[in-house]
Amino acid sequence: MSRFTHLFTPLRIGPLTVSNRVVFSAHLTNFAAGGMPTEQHAAYYAARAAGGAGLIITEEHSTHVTDWPYEKLIHGFDPKVIPGYRRITEAVHAHGVPILAQLNHNGGQASSMFSRLPVWGPSPVPDPLFREVPKAVELHEIRSIVDGYALVAEHCLQGGFDGVELQCSHSSIVRGFLSPATNTRTDLYGGSLANRARLLLEIVGAVRAVLGPDKALGVRLCGDELIEGGTRIDEAVEVAKLCEATGQVDYINTSIGVATATLYMIEASMQVPPGYAMFIPTAIREAVSIPVVGVGRFKDPLQAERALRAGQADLIGVVRGQIADPDFVRKARAGAAGDIRTCLSCNQECVGRMGLNRWLGCIENPRTGREAISLPLPRRRSQRVYVVGGGPAGLQAAVTAAERGHHVTLFERSERLGGQVPVAASVPSRAEFLDITRNLVAAAQRVGVDTKTSTEVSEQFLLAERPDVVVVATGAVPNRPWWAGDLARVVDVRDVLEGRAAPHGDVLVVDELGFHQATSVSELLADRGCDVEVATPGMVVGQDLGITLDLETWNVKASARGIRQTTDVVPMGAATKGDRVTVSLQHHPTGTDVTRTVDWVVCAVQQRADDALFHALADAPFPVHRVGDCVAPRRAHAAVIEGHRVAVGL
Amino acid sequence: MPASSSLLAAPVVLGSRTAPSRVLFGPHETNLGRDRGLSDRHVGYYRERALGGCGVIVTETASVDDSDWPYERAPLAADCGPGWRAVVEACAPTLVLASLGHSGGQGSSAYSQRALWAPSAVADAVSRELPQVMGAAEIACVVEGFAAAARLAMASGCAGVEVEAGHASLLRQFLSGVTNQRGDAYGQDRTILLREVLAAVRAALGDGILALRLSCDELAPWAGVTPEHAVELVPTFDADLLTVVRAGPYAGSAYRPDSHWPEGFNRDLCATIKTVARCPVVLQGSVVSAAFALDALADGVCDLVEMTRAQIAEPMLVEKMRTGQAPRPCVLCNQACRVRDARNPLVSCIGEPRSGHETTDPTPQREGGRPPVLVVGGGPAGLECARVLALRGHAVELREATGQLGGAVVDAALGTGRARLTDLTDWLIGECERLGVVVQLDAPVTANDLDGYDGQVVLATGSRPRELAFGAVDAREALRGGLPQGAVVVHDPVGGPVGVSVAEKLAGEGREVRIVTGDPVAGTLLSMTGDLADCNTRLQRLGVPRELKSLLRRVSGGTALLEDVWTGEQREVPADVVVDCGHRLPLEDLYVTGTPRAGDCVAPRTILEAILEGRRRAHDV
Repeated sequence: MSRFTHLFTPLRIGPLTVSNRVVFSAHLTNFAAGGMPTEQHAAYYAARAAGGAGLIITEEHSTHVTDWPYEKLIHGFDPKVIPGYRRITEAVHAHGVPILAQLNHNGGQASSMFSRLPVWGPSPVPDPLFREVPKAVELHEIRSIVDGYALVAEHCLQGGFDGVELQCSHSSIVRGFLSPATNTRTDLYGGSLANRARLLLEIVGAVRAVLGPDKALGVRLCGDELIEGGTRIDEAVEVAKLCEATGQVDYINTSIGVATATLYMIEASMQVPPGYAMFIPTAIREAVSIPVVGVGRFKDPLQAERALRAGQADLIGVVRGQIADPDFVRKARAGAAGDIRTCLSCNQECVGRMGLNRWLGCIENPRTGREAISLPLPRRRSQRVYVVGGGPAGLQAAVTAAERGHHVTLFERSERLGGQVPVAASVPSRAEFLDITRNLVAAAQRVGVDTKTSTEVSEQFLLAERPDVVVVATGAVPNRPWWAGDLARVVDVRDVLEGRAAPHGDVLVVDELGFHQATSVSELLADRGCDVEVATPGMVVGQDLGITLDLETWNVKASARGIRQTTDVVPMGAATKGDRVTVSLQHHPTGTDVTRTVDWVVCAVQQRADDALFHALADAPFPVHRVGDCVAPRRAHAAVIEGHRVAVGL
Repeated sequence: MPASSSLLAAPVVLGSRTAPSRVLFGPHETNLGRDRGLSDRHVGYYRERALGGCGVIVTETASVDDSDWPYERAPLAADCGPGWRAVVEACAPTLVLASLGHSGGQGSSAYSQRALWAPSAVADAVSRELPQVMGAAEIACVVEGFAAAARLAMASGCAGVEVEAGHASLLRQFLSGVTNQRGDAYGQDRTILLREVLAAVRAALGDGILALRLSCDELAPWAGVTPEHAVELVPTFDADLLTVVRAGPYAGSAYRPDSHWPEGFNRDLCATIKTVARCPVVLQGSVVSAAFALDALADGVCDLVEMTRAQIAEPMLVEKMRTGQAPRPCVLCNQACRVRDARNPLVSCIGEPRSGHETTDPTPQREGGRPPVLVVGGGPAGLECARVLALRGHAVELREATGQLGGAVVDAALGTGRARLTDLTDWLIGECERLGVVVQLDAPVTANDLDGYDGQVVLATGSRPRELAFGAVDAREALRGGLPQGAVVVHDPVGGPVGVSVAEKLAGEGREVRIVTGDPVAGTLLSMTGDLADCNTRLQRLGVPRELKSLLRRVSGGTALLEDVWTGEQREVPADVVVDCGHRLPLEDLYVTGTPRAGDCVAPRTILEAILEGRRRAHDV
C-alpha cells in the first residue's frame, strides 16, 4: 500500500468523503429493462463497491421523454425507477462506498426510433451518427429540460443516491448547447460562451435546489470535442470556472471527444497511448479549486498513482480496469497489484457490445454482466480434471475448475502457454492483448493448477490415466484456402507471425475475417519494408474493427504505411509466375476479373478446429468436454466463456 | 363483393381446415416479443390483420431449440405456448400457423454465447462467424425440437405449423451444396434432414396443417439449390401448403427486397414449382397489389398469395378489397418494417405508423360537433392530418402553396427505384377527396391570413434547403431535372436513399457522376432497408465512382477537393456541378409558439415522422 500513498489518501468532495481516489465513472451497460434499473445493475455496482472503489457513478439516467437514443436506457424521469434506485444504492452502501447517479439528456445525439418523438437540440444541426435533424428547442421546452433534471434529481434523492453528476460532455444536450459546432442559436442561449452555458447553469441551479447542501453535485465536461468548430480546452476551462463560481458544484469530471463523432478517442483502444486525455484535467485543475477527475485508459494502480502525484487530477476514473477486475482497488490496497486482472483495452466485449444493444461484458472476465446470476455449487468436489490445451479456453477452464475446488492438471503441447494469443500480440501495436494470457497464467499459478508445458497428450494416455473428467481445448490450425493450391508463397497469417514465413517485397493480404488478423499482419509487413495491399470480399477492410473503435486508427496507420485497401474482391485462383505468385481476383459486384502478381500472399482466413482428440475420446469411460476453437474457431471471448462455463458445470 | 376481388377474398380449404381468404400474412421479425415469448403486442398486431380478412397468419418464426437465438427478441418455441394460444383466440376464423425454424449458421452467438450449429464448417457470408459442425446428437436434437414445437403449437390451438426452410434456415443450409459439405449420409443426400423433420412434424401434428417455406432458388447456382433442383425435390416433400421463396447464403436481402425489385418477382419461379407441387402453393415476394395477386391466382401461378408488407401497410387489406375500397398501399420502402437490427426497433410502417403499436396508438373515432380545421401544407404530414381529421368528423380545409399535392415525396419519387413512393401520397389524396376535405391548390397562406383566422390551424409547411456551399444544387431540384452540363458530384452526408437514387438517376441519364460520402460505404443507412450492399453494387455497375471516407472541401474551376476523413489526405476529382443531398431546414415562416405543426416544418425527417405527426396533431385537435 505504501506504493500508492496518493491513491489511498481520502478526499472530500463537497459533502462526501471518499476513501481513495479511484472512481468507477459512468458508462453504459445495457442492463436496463423496460426503462427500469435491474437487479443486475445493483449486483454489478455492488461488486465494484465490494472491490473497494472510492466512488461509483452510475450510467446515465434520462431526464426527459424526448431522450431515448438506445433501447436499454434508464428512464429516470419515470418515478417507477425509485425502487430500482434503492436496490442499487443499498447494495453499494452496504460496502461503505458512495454512489452518484448520472443525469443526462442526449439531445440531438439520438434517434426517434424508440421515443417516436422529434429529437431535441439547440439547433437543427443533425448529429453525425444518428443523422436526424433535431427540433430546435423553444424556450418553454428549455424550461421543460431543466425541470426534467430537477425531477430526476428528486427521484435520485428518494432512491438513496449520495448526489448526481450532470453529463455535459460527450453525448448531451448540454454539450450541444455549449458547443459552437451544434449551437447556432441567436437568442439568449446562443452566441457568447455565457449564453451557450446558460442551460448548464440553469440546470445546476435547479438540481442543487433539489439536492440541498448534503448531497454532491458534479459536472462532467468535454475538454476537446475533436470535431471541426467544436469546444476546445480553453473554453472547457472557462466553463469549469463558471461551474465553480456558482458555488453549487462539488467536482468536475472530464472527458474527450464526442460520442457520435469521435468515440474512438473517448473509449480508446490499445492503439492510443495511456494518459492521452490527461491534459484536460490538468488544465482545469489549474483553474479551479474543486476536485477534478481525470480519465483515459488507466490500466493499473501505479499509473493512477503517478498521475495523482504529478498533480494531473484529484481522482482517476478507472472504468474498464474495474470491468475486468472488480477487485482492482482492494488488490492494490492489499499490496497485491500484480494479481489484478488487467484490462487489455481491446474493447471487444465492453465498448463493442454497447452499440450493438447487448449487455456489457468483458473478454477476460466471464462474470462481468452476469453478477446477478450466482454460480451453482460444484456437482462433486475435488474431481481430478485434466485440461488438454493451454490457450485461453483451456486456461480459463483450468482456473475456474481449480477455484471451485477441483484438482486440475493442464497439459500444453508447446513450450509456451496462451495458444494463439501470444501470436496475435506479437504485433507491436497489439502487445497489450497478451495481458489476457498473462492474467490467466498468473491466476493458474495462484489457484494451484498443475501446468505441464511441452507435453503432448494422447488418447491412450488419458484412457490410461482415467481422470474424473477431461476438458479438450486443443484449438485450431490454419486452413489452406481452396484456391491456394500448394504454392509455397501463399501462407497463413500464423505462418508469418509464428516465424515460419518471412514475406518480402510485394505482398497481398487476403482478409476474409474482417478483424485484427489481416490488419495486424499488414501493418507488421509494411513496417518490415513490404509493399502491402490488403484485399477483402467485404465492403470494408477490417469491418469488425468498427465495433472495437480500431477502424479509425487502422486507416491512419495504413495510410501512413502506404498500405492499399481493396474491397469487394474474391480470390479465384493462384499460380506461380517465376519467383512470384499471380492471384486472380473477381470483383464480385461487377463480375470483372483482375489479377495481382506479388512476391507473397498472406491469408487471413477461417481456421480449422483441431478436434481429433475430442472425437478419439468419444467412447471414453469419463466425461469429455470441449471448449474454444476446437469446437469452432472463433475469438478469444468465446474461448474464455466456454472454458468458464464447462468448469462451472463440473 | 366486387367480382374482381372474389377469388382472393374467397375461402380456401387447406387440409381439414378452411381459411377465410387466400391472402397469407407471412412470418417476419417484429421485435414485439417480451423475453422469448409472443407478447400482447403480437396479439394486437395479428388480431388487426385477422379482422381485416387475412386468410392465414403465420406467426413470427420460433426457434425449435435453444441452440438457436438469432436476434434478441426471437421467439423460442418452448416459450410460445401461451402466446400462440392468445393469437389463435384473437384471430379466429383466420387460420394461425406457427412458423418453426432454426437459423443454424445464419444465427448469432451474441445472445446464447454458444457456437452456432451448421452442417459444415462454412462461415456465414454476412456475419463471418464459423459454426460448429453438427454431430448426430445435435441433429437428433433439432429433429426432436421441431416435433416438440409442433406438438406444443397444436396443443395451443394452432391450425398447424410452417417449417422454415427459407433463405436463413438450418434446413436450407443442409439442402445447399454451398453450406453442406458433409461426408456422411446427411451430405450424400442433402435432403435427409428436411425429410426427417417433416416426418417428425407430421407425426406430431395429427390433422394439423403442415406447411413448408422453401427456398427454391438460392441465387447461388454454382452449388446452391436452383429452380431445376427444386422442381425435382418439391414433389417428394410431404407438405399441405408450400410457400415458394428465394435467396440463401449470399443474397439474404433478396428474400424481401425493396422497390428496386419489381412486384411479384417470384411469379415465374412459383409458376414453375406449381406445375409439380402436390399441395396448394403460395406466391411470395413483394406482392402488394390486389391486381397482381388476382392475376397470379387467375393464371394458376399459385393457390394463395402472401401479402405480408401489404398487410403491414393496410391491416384491413382483404376487407377493403372485398368492399371495393382502396387499401393504403405498401410502397416497398422497407424503411420501418424490416427490423432485423441489433437496436430492436418495433415493426411499423411509414404509411401506417400504428402497425406494431396496436396496443397503444388510437384509431380515429367519429363524433359530431367537432370544429373545422385548416391544414396548411399538402405533403404527407398535411394530407394525413387532413385525412384523420375528416375521419374524426371535422370539416377540413387543406391549403397547398404549390399546384401539386404530395410535398417532398413527389420529388423523392423521381429518384431511381423510388417511383412507388407517390402511391402513398396518391392514396392520401384520394382518401382526403373521398372524405370531403376541401383542397385548395396554389393557395399559399401568409402570417396575415392566420392572424385573421380564428379557427383551428395545423401547420405542415415542410422544409427548405440549407444554405448550400459551392453553388450546389439542392437534391429536390436536381431530381426535377435541368441540371447544368458537366461532371456531377453528388454530395451525400446523410447516407440514406436520396443520395444514391440521385446518383443512379443521373448516371442513368448518361451523366458523368460520382458520389461523395464521409462513410466507408455509400448509402450506409440503407442497412435497415436491405439495400446497402445492393446499392453499392448498382453504383459500381453503373460506373459511378464512390468517393468514400471523403469530405468535400472546395469546388472551383471544374474540380472538387476531397479530403480523407481520417488521414486528411486530399485529392481532386472533376466537378462542374454539385448536388447536395444533405439535411434540410424547417420552414417556420408561419409558426408562432404553440401552433400545432407536423412533419418537416418541425424538423425535416422522413415520411414516417411526417405521417405519425400529422396523425397525432389530428387526434390532438
